[in-house]
Amino acid sequence: MDTLSLMGMGFVHALGPVNILAMLASTAIGVSIGCLPGLSAAMGVALLLPVTFGMDPATGLIVLGGIYCGAIFGGSISAILIHTPGTPASAATAIEGYQMTLRGQAARALTIACFASFCGGLLSCISLYFFSPLLAQLAMKFKSPEYFWLSLFGLTIIAGVSSKSLLKGLMSGVLGLLLSTIGMDPMEGVPRFMFGQSALYNGIDTTCALIGLFSMSQVLILAEKKIVQRPRATKFKDKFSISLKDVRRISPTIVRSWIIGNVIGILPGAGASIACFMGYNEARRFSKHKEEFGKGSIEGVAGSEAANNAVTGGSLIPTLTLGIPGESVTAVLMGGLIIHGLQPGPELFTKYADMTYTFFAGFVLVQFFMLAIGILGCRFFASIARLSDAILIPSIFLLCVVGSYAIHNNVTEVILMLIFGLIGFLAHKFDLNPAAMVLGLILGPIGEKGLRRALLLSDGDISILFSTPLCWILILLCILGILSPILMGKMEKKMARQATQNQ
Amino acid sequence: MQKSDIGVIGVIYAICLIFSILTLDLPEDAQTYPSCLLATLAGLNTLYLVRCLVRLRRSGLNDDLPQIFSGFLRGQFFTVLFSCIGYMILLHAIGFYLASAAYLAGVMLFLRVRTTHILITAGVLALLIYAVFTLFLKVPLPTGALFG
Repeated sequence: MDTLSLMGMGFVHALGPVNILAMLASTAIGVSIGCLPGLSAAMGVALLLPVTFGMDPATGLIVLGGIYCGAIFGGSISAILIHTPGTPASAATAIEGYQMTLRGQAARALTIACFASFCGGLLSCISLYFFSPLLAQLAMKFKSPEYFWLSLFGLTIIAGVSSKSLLKGLMSGVLGLLLSTIGMDPMEGVPRFMFGQSALYNGIDTTCALIGLFSMSQVLILAEKKIVQRPRATKFKDKFSISLKDVRRISPTIVRSWIIGNVIGILPGAGASIACFMGYNEARRFSKHKEEFGKGSIEGVAGSEAANNAVTGGSLIPTLTLGIPGESVTAVLMGGLIIHGLQPGPELFTKYADMTYTFFAGFVLVQFFMLAIGILGCRFFASIARLSDAILIPSIFLLCVVGSYAIHNNVTEVILMLIFGLIGFLAHKFDLNPAAMVLGLILGPIGEKGLRRALLLSDGDISILFSTPLCWILILLCILGILSPILMGKMEKKMARQATQNQ
Repeated sequence: MQKSDIGVIGVIYAICLIFSILTLDLPEDAQTYPSCLLATLAGLNTLYLVRCLVRLRRSGLNDDLPQIFSGFLRGQFFTVLFSCIGYMILLHAIGFYLASAAYLAGVMLFLRVRTTHILITAGVLALLIYAVFTLFLKVPLPTGALFG
């Protein structure tokens, strides 16, 4: 079947009643999670992962995509109304958005944020459709040695970019790889590092590690701090509408931010938090109304929001085609893909093309749901943003327990989840990187099989790992992956400084 | 050098040591891959140690623990943590729904949530979990040793 037919079929499948219901529910849950300061998109996706077990893989992935997009937009609600970004991706939105709220334009700011998020997310789907198959074709050339280097590349990227210290990030990744060796040896068939626990025979379950590291750890992070009442959101004095004049004014900003967000999303390692500041800065640079910046500029809100939502589609490209997630949330999404029995790579565009294009179509439709839910439900989400941590702590814990229990209907997974929760909490405290740990856990078996198969084929000759030009390209990318945090760190600091100066 | 680095380095070396001892029990072919990982982890940790030592010579030892744990409410944190562990024991004894109700009420009362809010939260969560996990996913939630 050609690509156009697959795209069409994708929409036909995605428009089924179950998928529509899934999109509606997941986007609403995502927005609720995003608007709660302290809860992240990765936490939401990890927490809801077990719910997708009973679903068709495409529907399951649409649910995870809906939570992802919803949470990225949801962050802007609390950023605009109470000057507290729900997620780091909305940090730049708070600058102009809250100023608009102070001027009595809260509803206008939210409508613009919602419209810009919708446009950014929708436009990012274009690159998802067109670049993913191309990159997947490249991945078809990969054999065992290349897969070994690819898993290392994925690890160096996430370990380097999302950690404060490169060495600590790399250590977290290797620790994840080491944890992935627990269980049966895939080649020799001997048990490894099981500490006498037969429950570990199949290794550590990725879902329970994900729930522990991202959701349970959040419970402990919330529990350590004094519980404070969040400020009441300002009452809306204006209407939820956007004028044609506003649309015309923010359109060029949205297009610029889409390009910025999309490129940043495709680059593994850079994330929505960098994109929002870049989108905001470029909006200011090109604006004809520079004097409005810092006092509540609609272009500032649109620039930041379009950029952070444009990251979503872009970031799925390396995740789905090469298995290289650039940040925590895409690492969790990749975990979801693997849990549904699918491996990132060319097979997603050949053997499982039906499922992949249904997910893509679902991802496009999720943007429309986000627009509708965002505008119609803003008042409701504004009150959700005030939900106390005292209610969130036991509620999230209970969902963690029931989610990890549902994996194999076994309490062992719940205990493991609790242990990973503690590991995640300590990792957060001591600047280790839970995302790199999870990625190590996911990529470990792929890397191990790649390495050991390659060595088996070459009778133990290690030179097979350096035998093709593709291997060398990947080695070069690994080195770049290690060096990129220095550049990214400098860029993020510069953007944040510029944004603060503008404010 | 930060004081917290000492703990991180120590824990990583301890992990390397425990896994190295366990690796020795494996057949020779099965030892290669874990040994490579352990060597890499120990190597990275040593590099980190060297960097810390260089910093120690340059700027001395900085006690960052008060900063890491600033605002840390010991009583609240450990009550929540131990209530989670207690919940696991209760789960085994009286089953999911009863244990959850007791846990929710206990923790939220401790965190000074209003009774009406506790009742609403417990009701909403019970409904949600029943609909999603029992009806939709058909997960047989634990009924407990006392009732099972």
